[in-house]
Amino acid sequence: MTEHHDDPLALEADLPSSLMTVNLGPSHPAMHGTVRLVVTLDGETIVDAVPEIGFLHRGFTKSSEASTWHQVLPYTDRLNYVSPILNNVGYIMGVEKLIGIECTERAKYLRVLGGEISRICDHLTCISAIGLELGAFTVFLYGVEARELLWDRIAEWTGARVTTSWTRVGGVATDLPPGFVERLRECLPRVMELTHEIDVLLSRNRIFYDRTRGIGVIDGDEALDWGFTGPCLRACGVNYDVRKAHPYLVYDRMDFEVPLGERGDTYDRYILRLREIEQSHRIILQCLDQIPPGPIIIDDWRYALPPKKDVFGSIEGVMAHFKLIMEGMMVPAGEVYVYTEGANGELGFHIVSNGTGKPYTVQVRGPGFPILSALPRLIKGHAVADIIPIFDSINMIGGEVEQ
Amino acid sequence: MAQALVDLLRDTFKEAVLSSHSHRGDEVVVVRRESVQEICRFLKDGEARMQLLRYIACVDLLTYDTEMTGGGALASNEVPAYDLAKKAPREPRFQLGYNVYSVVRKQSVRLRVELRSDDVKVPTVTSVWRTADWWERYLFDMFGIDFIGHPNLKRILMYPEFQGHPLRKDYPTRKRQPLVAELEFPDLIRGPGPGPGGAGVPMSQTHVGRKNVDPTTYD
Repeated sequence: MTEHHDDPLALEADLPSSLMTVNLGPSHPAMHGTVRLVVTLDGETIVDAVPEIGFLHRGFTKSSEASTWHQVLPYTDRLNYVSPILNNVGYIMGVEKLIGIECTERAKYLRVLGGEISRICDHLTCISAIGLELGAFTVFLYGVEARELLWDRIAEWTGARVTTSWTRVGGVATDLPPGFVERLRECLPRVMELTHEIDVLLSRNRIFYDRTRGIGVIDGDEALDWGFTGPCLRACGVNYDVRKAHPYLVYDRMDFEVPLGERGDTYDRYILRLREIEQSHRIILQCLDQIPPGPIIIDDWRYALPPKKDVFGSIEGVMAHFKLIMEGMMVPAGEVYVYTEGANGELGFHIVSNGTGKPYTVQVRGPGFPILSALPRLIKGHAVADIIPIFDSINMIGGEVEQ
Repeated sequence: MAQALVDLLRDTFKEAVLSSHSHRGDEVVVVRRESVQEICRFLKDGEARMQLLRYIACVDLLTYDTEMTGGGALASNEVPAYDLAKKAPREPRFQLGYNVYSVVRKQSVRLRVELRSDDVKVPTVTSVWRTADWWERYLFDMFGIDFIGHPNLKRILMYPEFQGHPLRKDYPTRKRQPLVAELEFPDLIRGPGPGPGGAGVPMSQTHVGRKNVDPTTYD
């Protein structure tokens, strides 16, 4: 007994120890809803982790196959419910690619404008949640105030805060309401001010820095191997942004930069989202300056609903309306994979048509799905408390991951 | 640019590449099932530098020629909405589409593997891309595709007790497999469980003339 006390290390070696399994989620406040994480612990250290998903599975693909092409839109709202316009745009661009048409010039700008507002909302949500779950409640309040300002603009524009269903084949559903541009120009400085407040509160905060720097590191090649895209991939220094690599809509006319990280850790993923908010802000301002007048939807009754004047005033209009509603538009047979830059990475839609009014299949590549699959790789070797910032920084959205 | 890649694949794998075409700008290369691992390895490590596996899609062609427009028969929870007897189903029935991408060269290509319905096995590519792990589990879950050599091939979105594969076209849209017994909902337009019309009654007819009943009387 006495010789053990002489050497404290020997005493520790005699202590019985075994691995412990801990369940995190699905109803855990930091799990953002629906993921269950079965973690195996050796003391405080994570030796293994198994994510379990599917609690929010709604059968996106199966439901889409039973709908007409436009009826799929409300389902896409619910994929990434923080930035629904980006999903709407991604899906409808897939249908347009299948048909082989493009939307009108004004609609292109409107889509970019709505998309970038949504991107800011998404990044703000992610950053606020990191702050909240690391104890900085003020950050969360700032983030939510900024997000509410933007969601109010989206609500008066599209009619809904988050379930927008706002795009249409060949254009968009609603034009900017009167006074919208002025109100947006008024609220944007406040949004950027709040973002700046978050920046100065968190970025050089000792506690925040220590808890995120060097945590959950992954390098660029490995991140690609795991299927990372978006901010999580760019935090590793890989320059891949669909808006730059394959510009769609009017992104080629926008002057913006793609911020890159260096170390690929949690801090980089956080700071990158802040920088991207600034770039999205730039794009929004350019959009507001450049946006041309004109129609918001194409004048092709095979795909777009006729104006109400024609529906009630002409036989052709009422026929076109009836056919589009009852049968859906006839999309030529084919198979496409279309990809756009979602808020968390490449949002892909694999769409197959057999030439009828319903999609034969619509499958979605939610950017969060591959990133979540790498979560065990990111948290292994860290302490239990590190799960929360790492999990927050990948910004997993249940709706798109679990379809 | 993308054509060069297709030519390279054709030259390197003369036996394995069956055909290739381009549709709406997407390059598609149909490859033999046995060589999919080898080709993927070549695409990733070779000069193509296809480091990113974007997505593995699966298309069930069972009703591709017979499925028609118009809502209706999907209200059935017993039989699929389409008449399978009208036309012989397509074989090979399943098409896997591996969408791969090179961040360096900014090129993408889709490898297509065709599978017959009586033999839905394909070699896994998890050894090439780690991300294939979950995508293949997803396809196993939804379509019942058997990925030979996958380290952990089990359901990912559905629960382990689930019977069948929900994204196959012969799985009825409204079929339900509750783990605990559901409450009896006698009527709701699109509510849970079978509608009042039962099998084969179009959804559009199930609520026509429905009595305006007080929802609180349900239990």
